[in-house]
Amino acid sequence: MHELPISWYLIVSALLFSIGVVGVLVRRNPLTIFMSIELMLNAVNLSFITFSRYLNSVDGQMFVFLVLTVAAAEVVVGLAIIVSIFRTRRNINVDEMNILRG
Amino acid sequence: MSISVDTPTFIAFFVLAVATIAAGLGVIAFKNAVHSALSLILTLLFLALFYLQLGAMFIAIVQVLIYAGAIMVLFLFVVTMLASEDTGDVTEPARQPWQRGIAATLGFLLIAGLSYLLFTGASIDSAAVVQPTNVNGLAAGIAAYGGNTEAFGMALFHGFSFPFEITSLLIVVALLGAMVLGRKS
Repeated sequence: MHELPISWYLIVSALLFSIGVVGVLVRRNPLTIFMSIELMLNAVNLSFITFSRYLNSVDGQMFVFLVLTVAAAEVVVGLAIIVSIFRTRRNINVDEMNILRG
Repeated sequence: MSISVDTPTFIAFFVLAVATIAAGLGVIAFKNAVHSALSLILTLLFLALFYLQLGAMFIAIVQVLIYAGAIMVLFLFVVTMLASEDTGDVTEPARQPWQRGIAATLGFLLIAGLSYLLFTGASIDSAAVVQPTNVNGLAAGIAAYGGNTEAFGMALFHGFSFPFEITSLLIVVALLGAMVLGRKS
């Protein structure tokens, strides 16, 4: 039994990452933009795991673990910011957000 | 490198790849943010299956528990609170009418660049990186510790103990930040 070539997994990862980039560029709802960022993080995680497998090293899985915690922290703070923006402006379209002041 | 992949692995990979990409496209294509979030959960579950196929059992379970579980519940909570109905994101015209075209162009450029690098520049398959591994490559490498999770724990608390401690600081800061931002001023 042989392994699949490493580049196949990397292509899936690249496609997912590009989908995330297009999502960030296209959408104007900050929640959907946030989900696209999560998609990009997960695409990178997939390539970490792939390299971990093909290099016979557990270090890649360690990076995924750390990326996961950073993503969790990022989601908590980001969603809190979005909620507080919604509280002051009643509107969460990123086209309308052009001032830092609350 | 001559590739002779056995059929079940091949089929599993392709079904998973198509499903993952489709669910990922769903995230950016659905009008309703709740549907986007559900599609993202689906993507994360498919990625967990990818991790299982690649022999990362612990990360696959953590992916399901933390990502598809905890983080996405938080996401859905905020989405249902703020944007449960169509926010006009997809249906209404953008303030910049060329936004979608430019985004699609840049996305295709990114895919083209990444594919070019994958197929020509790095030549990952042959030279630098990959020794031909057997199916239990990682498992054979970590057999000394008795399993994937054990090897992961050994690496986490020995080689990576400082990043692990920094992670706790990061989580405390995020917690405080969320409390400060969520406070009624």
